[in-house]
Amino acid sequence: MENMTLLEFARGPGMQWALWIFCFGVLWRIVGAMYLLGTRDRSKHRRNHYVRDGFRAILTRSTPAEAFEEKIRFQHLTGYAWHIALFVSVLFFAPHILFFESILGFSWPHLPNTIILFSAAVATAMLIALLVRRATHPVQKLISNVDDYLSVVLVLLPLLTGIAAFAHVGARYETLFAIHLLSVELMLIWFPFGKLMHTMMTFPARYQAGTFFGHRGVKA
Amino acid sequence: MNAQAISVQEFQARLQNLGKDVAPTDMPDDERVKRAKQAFMRKLDGRRAVDLDTCIHCGMCAEACPFYEATQNEKYAPVYKYRLLRRFYRREMSPMRWLYKPFTRDITADDLREWKHYVFDACTGCARCDMICPMGINVSTLIRVVREGIGAAGLMPDELVQLKQEQEDEDSFFGVDADRLQALVNQLAGDGTDVPLDKESADFMLLTTAAEVLLFPGALAANAKILNKAGVSWSLYSDAFEAANWGYIAGDTPMLQRTMKKLVAKASAVGIKTVIVPESGHGYHVIRWLGANAIKDDLPFDVLSMPEFIAEQLAEGRIALEEQSNGASVAYHDPCRLARKGGVMEEPRSILKSMGFDVRETHAHGRENYCCGGGCGEFALSSASELRQKAFEIKKHELDETGADQVVTGCASCRYNLMAGGEKSGWQMPINSLVETVAANLAD
Repeated sequence: MENMTLLEFARGPGMQWALWIFCFGVLWRIVGAMYLLGTRDRSKHRRNHYVRDGFRAILTRSTPAEAFEEKIRFQHLTGYAWHIALFVSVLFFAPHILFFESILGFSWPHLPNTIILFSAAVATAMLIALLVRRATHPVQKLISNVDDYLSVVLVLLPLLTGIAAFAHVGARYETLFAIHLLSVELMLIWFPFGKLMHTMMTFPARYQAGTFFGHRGVKA
Repeated sequence: MNAQAISVQEFQARLQNLGKDVAPTDMPDDERVKRAKQAFMRKLDGRRAVDLDTCIHCGMCAEACPFYEATQNEKYAPVYKYRLLRRFYRREMSPMRWLYKPFTRDITADDLREWKHYVFDACTGCARCDMICPMGINVSTLIRVVREGIGAAGLMPDELVQLKQEQEDEDSFFGVDADRLQALVNQLAGDGTDVPLDKESADFMLLTTAAEVLLFPGALAANAKILNKAGVSWSLYSDAFEAANWGYIAGDTPMLQRTMKKLVAKASAVGIKTVIVPESGHGYHVIRWLGANAIKDDLPFDVLSMPEFIAEQLAEGRIALEEQSNGASVAYHDPCRLARKGGVMEEPRSILKSMGFDVRETHAHGRENYCCGGGCGEFALSSASELRQKAFEIKKHELDETGADQVVTGCASCRYNLMAGGEKSGWQMPINSLVETVAANLAD
C-alpha cells in the first residue's frame, strides 16, 4: 500500500508539480535574459543574411573546425554519443511514448527494447566518462561548480533507475518505477535553475553568434 | 625634425620605459569594486546574458587559446578569464539571482587585481575562443567586459594608462605628433612620393599610426603610392591621422567614444566619403565595427581597410600589379581583428595571388588563425613579455611549417610583434607588409 502511494504520488501530483516548476522556471529564465535587451548594432553590415547566418551557425557549431577537431575529439565524440543515446532512450522507448502521448495527444513508432537498453547503457557510460573528465582535467576541475556536478547526477539518476526498473533489479517493480519517476521529477525541478538550461539556450546563443559574425562577413 | 625610421630594437627600448612615471590610481578598494561592477552592468545586455547562461563549463575554449596552449596553465582558459563577470551576473543580474546570490562569492578588489593578469597579459582578444565554442558563446566579448571593469577600477597596466593619456591629452603617443608627421611627409616628398596633407576637401581620408610613422614609414609611402596610382582624391590630416584607439585597447569605452567622435567630426568637416584604415588590425576593428556604436549614429562615411581598397581598385582596373617571375612563396598572417573579427580574409590572398605569389596557408588560418601574441596592446606590456613570446612561438611554428620564403601581414602591430619575437628567438624569416609588397609591384 505504501509503495502504491509512492507511485501514485509520483504519477500524480509529483509529476504535475515538477512539470509546472519546469515550465514556469524555463519561461522565467528565458524572459529574464531577454529583458536585458541590447542596443542594435549600428555598424554597416558587410553581408545582410542575418537569418541564414544565424541558422547556419546553429548547424555548423555542431562540428568543430578542422583546426580544432584534434584537440577536442574526446569531448566532441563523447558529447555526440551521449546526446544521441539519451534521445534514443527517452524518445523511442514504448512506455515513454505512451507517456508523451498522454500529454501531446499523438505518438510515434518505438524501437525494440534491446536497442533502448543499449542506448541507455551507452548514455550512462558516456555521462560517467564526461563526469570523470570534469573531475580530473585541470581546466574543467578549476571551472566546475556544484551545478556542474549536481546536474550530471540528476540526469544520471533517471538513467540508472530506468535501467533498474526495466531489468527489475533491486526492488519490486512498482517501487523501482516510482523511484524512476521521482528521479525524473527531481531533474525537471532542477532543470531551470542550473546548467540543464543550456538545452534551451544553445540554439539562441549559436544563432546570435552566427548573426554577429555574419554581419561582419565571417562564417561562424 | 628627423623623420628617420627607428629600428625594432629602438622601439623596444621605448616600450620598456612606458608607464614608468605613471602614478598608481589611488582608490579605496570598495570604490574599485563599485566601479568595476558599474562597468559590468553597462555592458551586460540580453546577448551577454544568453552567453553567460549557455556556458556549460566544457572548457573547450582553452584548446583555442594560444596562452593556454603555450603554458597549460588552467587559469588562462578563456572561460576562467570571464569568471568574474559570470559571478557578478549570477549574483546581481540573472533572473535567478535570488537563488544564486547566497551561493556565489561577491567580487573583491583582490579578485580584480588577480584577473588583471589574465585579461591583460594573457589575452589579446584574438577571439579564437569564439570560434571553438560549441555553444556559440562570444567569449572574447565577455573577457573584454572584464577588461573594461578592471580598467574602470583603476587597475589597467601603467603602459596602457600612459598611451591612453598621451592620445587623449596630447593627441599623440610615442612622440608622434603633427610635426613628426609633417617631417615624414616632407621626407617622402623628397624621395618622390607625394602625400597630400590637410587638403580642404577630399573623397578619401587616409589614416596612419604612430607605429607606422616611427617603425614602418615605408608602409605609409606604399599607401600613398597606391592611392596616387588609383588617381583618387585623398588626403592625410595632421589633426586626425591616428587609426589606433588606445581607449579601446585599455578598455576605456568613454575614451574610445571621444576619439571616434573627433575622427568623425574631422571627416565630416572636409567632406570625406571613405576613410581608409592603414595596416592596423584594431584600428580597422574599432572604426569599421565599433565606430557607429561609439558615436550612437550611422557613420557619415564608408570604412575600408587597405586590402579592401586595393582589391576594389584592381577589380575596377584603376591599378594593376606586375606578376612575380620567380614564383616566390608567401605565408599570409591574418591579423585577428582584420580577419576573424573583421571579415577581411579573401582580399589579401587574392591580391598576393594576383602578383604571382605562391600563397601558402598555415594549418590554422583565416578565421581560425593564431594571434601573433602581441595584439590589443599586449606588445607594449612588460608584464606580458614572457607570455607574449610563448604565444609567438606557436605562430612561428605554424609559419615555419608552410615552408614559405617570407611572411606577409596587414597589420603593423602584428608585423612588429613577429619581428620582435623573431629577434628574440633568432628567427630569420623575412616579415613584410602587404601594402609595401603591393606598392613594389605596381604596374605602370
